[in-house]
Amino acid sequence: MTLGIAMPVATMPLSIAIVDYGMGNQASVVHTLRSLGYRVKLAASPDGLDDAHLLVLPGVGAFPAAMQALDQRGLVDYLQQQGSQGRPILGICLGMQLLAEASYEHGYTAGLGLIPGEFVPFERNGWHIGWNTIACRPGDALVAAGAGEAFYFNHSFHYQGPEHFQLARAGEPRPCAAIIRDRQVVGMQFHPEKSQAAGRILLQDLINGLIYA
Amino acid sequence: MLKKRLIGVVTVKDGWAVQSFGYHRYLPLGKPQWLVENLDRWGADEILVQCIDRSQSKSGPDFDLLETLAGLGLGTPLIYSGGIASAEDGVKVVQAGADRIAVDSLLHDAPEVLSELGSKLGVQALVAAVPMRMRKKTPCWYEYRTRRDLPLSALGKVLGHGLASELLVIDCQNEGNAFAFDARLLDALPDWNMPLLVFGGISDVAQMQDLLARPCVAAVGVGNFLSYRELAIQQFKKTLASSALRPALYAADFPH
Repeated sequence: MTLGIAMPVATMPLSIAIVDYGMGNQASVVHTLRSLGYRVKLAASPDGLDDAHLLVLPGVGAFPAAMQALDQRGLVDYLQQQGSQGRPILGICLGMQLLAEASYEHGYTAGLGLIPGEFVPFERNGWHIGWNTIACRPGDALVAAGAGEAFYFNHSFHYQGPEHFQLARAGEPRPCAAIIRDRQVVGMQFHPEKSQAAGRILLQDLINGLIYA
Repeated sequence: MLKKRLIGVVTVKDGWAVQSFGYHRYLPLGKPQWLVENLDRWGADEILVQCIDRSQSKSGPDFDLLETLAGLGLGTPLIYSGGIASAEDGVKVVQAGADRIAVDSLLHDAPEVLSELGSKLGVQALVAAVPMRMRKKTPCWYEYRTRRDLPLSALGKVLGHGLASELLVIDCQNEGNAFAFDARLLDALPDWNMPLLVFGGISDVAQMQDLLARPCVAAVGVGNFLSYRELAIQQFKKTLASSALRPALYAADFPH
């Protein structure tokens, strides 16, 4: 890690800061992460986010409003800088979409640009709602626990970008990227915090894998 | 493969979880959070909490209940309905802990608010909850506040614009009665390009199997009948193993 944040030792609880930018429900994310043994805090400013081992960017809502909310809190430049310097960042659902270069939801809006690719609507403006199984890239320990498991999806835009950034894909009838990654920045299109046992196991593997990488 | 869902439904009136019978008789069950906690522990695919008196009394969403539920740290997706009268209400409900919202009265009173909600939350977060019943062999959309039966064409005018992602069909006449859901309600529905969630009088495995076998049905909702025995979700899922449902979860599946 290059940001002056000490690498955790095995006996020390890992610290996670959840980016609080007013979009959606963070309570479940906070609760899930705490129950997995992490030290968790919500923070809405760079100062509050600085000392955590990993940042989580959650979100429910529309892409343009979310980017606007990040911008109003001075977080766009901060997150771009942190991601490009190798700070582990995990985006969940809308949070994953924000990590990409852009989305076409309600017109074109630039994203954080931390993972190459864009978000486009499903065909016939459809939705992907419910529990879908995912197929993971073979041999990738970070996501291996999720292979063949079902997770809770709830979205209407999906990732369009190079295949090598896609660690996992959801199955029919809405095949789409389920987990994307570029270096230490990872996005999960589904809600691991709402995916019961499978979500908790995968979340734990992914966070520990990113922090200790 | 996208799984079909078994939704646990908790009906709340005057702050208490109730058994509801045909939208007119109610028996208290206890605190809603107890039932919700059970459904979460048993591995329901989704939980619907419907506060049935909030719109009529114009008391707005039950934020105290949502706060209590948020404190449970549910690992199961939560749909909330009741008292949502504006886009601001809907956004606050999601911020308070719901993953999605279901609206009923709003479809009658201000469908344009749905459009506003869609632009703020995304249409995938919106479920249209529609009480229906048969009247002289014709399915009707029931307006429970005025007790009027409306033609399905009136519903089509609202839903035809893609304002919600899923349609919750509630058999309001047979709700609360065992093995009573009237599948004719589904036969007559036009294709609005919306997956259906069905609820009301669904108590039996064979009946669930029949409903889940329909391509348009994405989920069955079960309310009262989950309260009669422990681990009811697992029992239903075990028996319905071939119905494209997610398999049942057991305590051993959870990391400690």
